[in-house]
Amino acid sequence: MKGFANLVRPYMVWIFGGIVIPMLLIVLYAFTKHGNSVMAFQFTLDNFIKFFDPVFVKVLMKSFEVAVVTTLLCILLGYPIAYIIANVNEKIQTLLLLLITMPMWINMLVRTYSWISILSDKGLINGFLVYLNLSPIKMMYTDFAVILGMVYNFLPFMILSIYTALAKMDKAIIHASYDLGANRTQTFLRVVFPLSLSGVISGITLVFLPAVSTFVIPKFLGGGQYMLIGNLIENQFITVGEWNFGSAISMIMAAIIMFSMYMTRRFDRDIEETSKGGGVVW
Amino acid sequence: MRKMLPVLLTALLVLSACSAKPSTSTLKVFNWGVYIDDAVIAEFEEKYDAKVVYDNFESNEAMYTKLQGGEKYDVLVPSDYMIERLIDEDKLQKLDFSKIPNYEGIIETLKGLPSDPTNEYSVPYFWGNVGLLYNTETVDLADLEEQGWNILINTKYAGKVFIYDSERDAFMIAYKALGYSANSTVPAQTEAAYQWLRKLNSTMDPAYVTDDVIDNMIEGVKDIAVMYSGDAAYIVTENESMAYFVPREGTNLWVDSMVIPSDAQNPDLAHKWINFMLEKEVALMNTVYVGYTTPVQEVFDEVTGEGGDYEGIEAYIPRTGDEHDETFRYDEDLKRILSDLWTKVKAQ
Repeated sequence: MKGFANLVRPYMVWIFGGIVIPMLLIVLYAFTKHGNSVMAFQFTLDNFIKFFDPVFVKVLMKSFEVAVVTTLLCILLGYPIAYIIANVNEKIQTLLLLLITMPMWINMLVRTYSWISILSDKGLINGFLVYLNLSPIKMMYTDFAVILGMVYNFLPFMILSIYTALAKMDKAIIHASYDLGANRTQTFLRVVFPLSLSGVISGITLVFLPAVSTFVIPKFLGGGQYMLIGNLIENQFITVGEWNFGSAISMIMAAIIMFSMYMTRRFDRDIEETSKGGGVVW
Repeated sequence: MRKMLPVLLTALLVLSACSAKPSTSTLKVFNWGVYIDDAVIAEFEEKYDAKVVYDNFESNEAMYTKLQGGEKYDVLVPSDYMIERLIDEDKLQKLDFSKIPNYEGIIETLKGLPSDPTNEYSVPYFWGNVGLLYNTETVDLADLEEQGWNILINTKYAGKVFIYDSERDAFMIAYKALGYSANSTVPAQTEAAYQWLRKLNSTMDPAYVTDDVIDNMIEGVKDIAVMYSGDAAYIVTENESMAYFVPREGTNLWVDSMVIPSDAQNPDLAHKWINFMLEKEVALMNTVYVGYTTPVQEVFDEVTGEGGDYEGIEAYIPRTGDEHDETFRYDEDLKRILSDLWTKVKAQ
């Protein structure tokens, strides 16, 4: 067994080079500013203070708002879909899962770009509306377009993680529930749903995290003036060249995300403990 | 710190992938997106038995960021003010013009530019200006002539404008609309320009775009777009209801030039590339394909002359000699101020 333990080493090198060093660099940049020729860098908190300009705080709030709405919509849409998939016969399940994952074979950038030609003022939908003599609707560069793009891109993650939780559930428990006189609604609310919550929670993590930090979708579908925190960070690094400020925003972002992950984890554990104890969640 | 980063990044690269060994016949070119006819690259590869690694960037600043990350290229094609910065920071090497005989054919007014007054570091690739592309069916030319850049804050056209997402261009427009210099460093003028842009952002419901503006304007998605002349020249040939207008308040006249970084791996081949780009056939192919204005006099005359591809297309012939037109100058402080303000305008 000892020989196998050594196999972890390349992985450690990978983690160190790919995650630890870049993270340390971000921390270093966040707390320093452009040095002069004598000193390479100087310690400062200015980058963090700068962020608490109302303009930037608003960007942060907006990012969370969009991410929360996206996550809720993904649950509302994803749960029924996952439930249906988990309850059809196995051959159809495989096919449906394939259909869900298929769009992910295509690059996200391409898929997002193609929404432009569907939603734009002279795009597919509006072309059809005009054909029917209806007045066109403005969809591009609105909240609607951005949230649509996000839900479209991240929904598969939600479906798959809920599906996994539902599929691994012991059917005997459900039968037991029926045997004990519960009807379908009661069984779902008191047995199936609580047991699938772990899937919902990992789905939330998988959707919320990319949704709160994405910059491609708001850039294309939101038309640039739709600035979210991801755009702000990208902008600082790529266009403005203010790596220090960009790093500070990334750190603030990371801290908030870690905190929300921690809260979700705790919530998850609480649920598991309650359900193990045989108690009722509601 | 900045010097450490390239080392670390290179170390990472070596760790993560098998780093390709630079063979003597590989040329790494870093240029703007949609800025070359790919056939030209293939021709160069065949003629000089070389392999060309061709990468794209979206803005001068993005290019600079990538160089800072330790990436090495043999040829870059930045704009004037970025060249000024690179020269200033000692990041370019002097060219050996004996290896670039085709330099002779460059349009005279494009020699000795303010960014490289002694003609030692750069050779023009394309040039042009910034103007407004508008839909002749929905936009009144009289409005444009009367209001110039201020048409962008005329609420008659609210929701119908594309603004190019570049802080330097956005502020150039604001400065010019207010009658200032595009390189103004007067704080009060910058503040006024900032307020002008905020007004634009809050009353006009603009969409900020980059290269996606090209497809959008061919489709006629909006009525007015801030645009580089070369993109406009291409669009007016695709959609005939579009036309190009340069406000009389003045604009930015720019030149994108080929330069060789001081850490280039293959400067010899880089000189061949630069010379090759100025060859008549090659420059012709490029300008016809891309739509931007060639700096090669002979080719310029041919495409704008009778029966030429750009005969009668105003956007192809950048206005020269107008006292209101300016090239951008590099100014580190101004750049930082404008970047910050531009972020705030958009995040409003």
